[in-house]
Amino acid sequence: MTVTCVAASGAVDRPDGVVTADDLSAVRALVVDGIAQAVSGLADGPSVEVTLSSLRRARTEPSSIGAPYEEFAWKPVFVRRSLGLAAVQACVEGRFRAPSVAVGPVADDAVDQWRRTGWRTFHWEPWFAGLGAGARAAVLAEAVTWASALWVAFDWDDAGPRARFGGADDLWTCPGNSGIRLKGRCEIRLDRSGHTRPTDRARRGAEELVSVSSGLPGDAVDEELAYLALVAALCAPDRPVPLRVLGLWPDAGERHAVHVDLELLRRAAARVVVSVAETVDARVRVRQEPVRPARDPAVDPAQVAANSSFAPLASGLPAAVSGISSTMSS
Amino acid sequence: MITDPDSRGTRVDTGVGPGTTARVGGGSATPPSAGWQPLAGPALLDRLRVTGRPRPSVDAALVGNLRGYLDRGLDDVAATVGGPATVVTGHRLTAALACGIHRPDDGVGCPPISAPLACGALVGVLFRQWVTTGSFDDPFDDALEGLSIDGHQAPVVAWIEGLSAARRSELRAEVGRQADGIRQRWPALDPAWLPRTREPIRVELAHGRVELAVRIDLVLGRPAVLDASVALVEVTSALLRPGHRDDARLGALAETLRSGAPPFAVATYSTRTGELDVEAVTPELLVGAANRLVAGVRAMIPGGERSAAGAAPWCAGCAAELFRPAASTVTSVSPVRAARPAAPDVLVDVPEELAA
Repeated sequence: MTVTCVAASGAVDRPDGVVTADDLSAVRALVVDGIAQAVSGLADGPSVEVTLSSLRRARTEPSSIGAPYEEFAWKPVFVRRSLGLAAVQACVEGRFRAPSVAVGPVADDAVDQWRRTGWRTFHWEPWFAGLGAGARAAVLAEAVTWASALWVAFDWDDAGPRARFGGADDLWTCPGNSGIRLKGRCEIRLDRSGHTRPTDRARRGAEELVSVSSGLPGDAVDEELAYLALVAALCAPDRPVPLRVLGLWPDAGERHAVHVDLELLRRAAARVVVSVAETVDARVRVRQEPVRPARDPAVDPAQVAANSSFAPLASGLPAAVSGISSTMSS
Repeated sequence: MITDPDSRGTRVDTGVGPGTTARVGGGSATPPSAGWQPLAGPALLDRLRVTGRPRPSVDAALVGNLRGYLDRGLDDVAATVGGPATVVTGHRLTAALACGIHRPDDGVGCPPISAPLACGALVGVLFRQWVTTGSFDDPFDDALEGLSIDGHQAPVVAWIEGLSAARRSELRAEVGRQADGIRQRWPALDPAWLPRTREPIRVELAHGRVELAVRIDLVLGRPAVLDASVALVEVTSALLRPGHRDDARLGALAETLRSGAPPFAVATYSTRTGELDVEAVTPELLVGAANRLVAGVRAMIPGGERSAAGAAPWCAGCAAELFRPAASTVTSVSPVRAARPAAPDVLVDVPEELAA
């Protein structure tokens, strides 16, 4: 894998890249208005959580939108990120030489703490504690592989002191449509304040976000990475907008960085609106399917409509939403 | 007893260095001769680290040339094939390149679940466990737990759980035997080598129309800076055969394209025999892998150039037949479908296509 040295990866401080508070307000209005239009006509506001993953799916696998969610169950791939991040952090702090020797003790510490205090740092502690040796090893192995890719991607002597690993997701609830939530999850936040001029208030506390993804980067990585900055900015409007977002795709050996500016945030906002519209559209289609007599003549359409939260305006919705989608896509 | 249908043939020792077990010709699908002892401990790692050739330098031009070579070879594929990208895995490539005799029934190299395949899946999990934790409790139980932890291997797990007590006991014994071999031969790996298991590699080719997707069982070494510093190890619970080298070389090609630097070595380790087959990665090896990949993709696409029975230069089954006794060889090259050889033995990696 190619070593990515963030400290030497190019100038970050671009004076023209700063997003002002007014810019952010304008982008926020785009998102709020766009979402309102996308869900207009619905009697009950739908519950939609937009994530980086759902943004990608909306573009690459539109048929998967609206598909029922699998019931959640812990798996190694769900643990590898949080455990891997904690392992890398432990290595950066000098507690371990490498992720392969960090993951076990880090996981054990988490379980011990949960047993002592009931506090679940990662949420998987009870599940992990109940695993046998083989299953436990599978979890640790997955985390080692994930963490090793991140461990070699940075010059930690430089980035380590400025890095904040994991942490809570950025969550923003759309005003007026409380069922629409934007969730941003980045793996690392790098503090840029040490590199800013003391008089530059706009940049004080500014961050650089790092996102790690599996697979291959798609052809819309700029907007997808900017989405993380958008959510971070929306949910903390008093803080500077992240200056840059770095995406890593270890499987593909790819990295890509975007400097966040107004235009890019607008494009990310457009992607969000399209994603919400398509999700609503897909759910309406799913809800409408049982009404079709050809499929199930035994179903009483009136009863189905009465039971559907989309029932009052369902018939007119898809076209309206589709219209928004195609506009935004273009 | 779990049997290996390909446990015949001759073995060629190269005598490369004291105590090595390297072979020429990509293995011979035959168990090691009596008296031979597999490498263990530091000697095994030395065999992996010291290939007998200087480690290749990181060469951007080589990588660029390889990519250009592949793109030119697949140019018309990119132009003619629509829809989602064609995903190329090692199993699919081998299946596409097989001749009419050795071509799998399903066309994509997804063999039916069998005792050898289940054994391979279990031992693969155990190898990962050993590298990660350095210990087993009960190997069979550990492996089954590891295999069951998510739904990905559900068909294999269900097959194992459906075995009769007697068959399950046989499987348990073989898994335990191979686990003992891992325990005795593989030392703890230095954390500084960043040992990581089942590492995925994804590479886009032909302007995104083809996606190469492989997983390497064990990757050792930090990313290359000036000289190649990574070694790839594929693990199999089968006897070594030429097809394993093809898979390892494909991994070398994928790693080179992904990282911009070739690995310095690719190896296949047989948990069944303890053999470690190591190849130094050279430009010639990478070009050979690229040629095979191009041929395979062209055979894979609709209307592609499939080889006739017994006439496929890249057919792993035909290559394996070369090391069989003469009578078997004569039968295998006959372009008669009925002469199809026995099912392949253990694959340590259950094909992705088989998993749920």
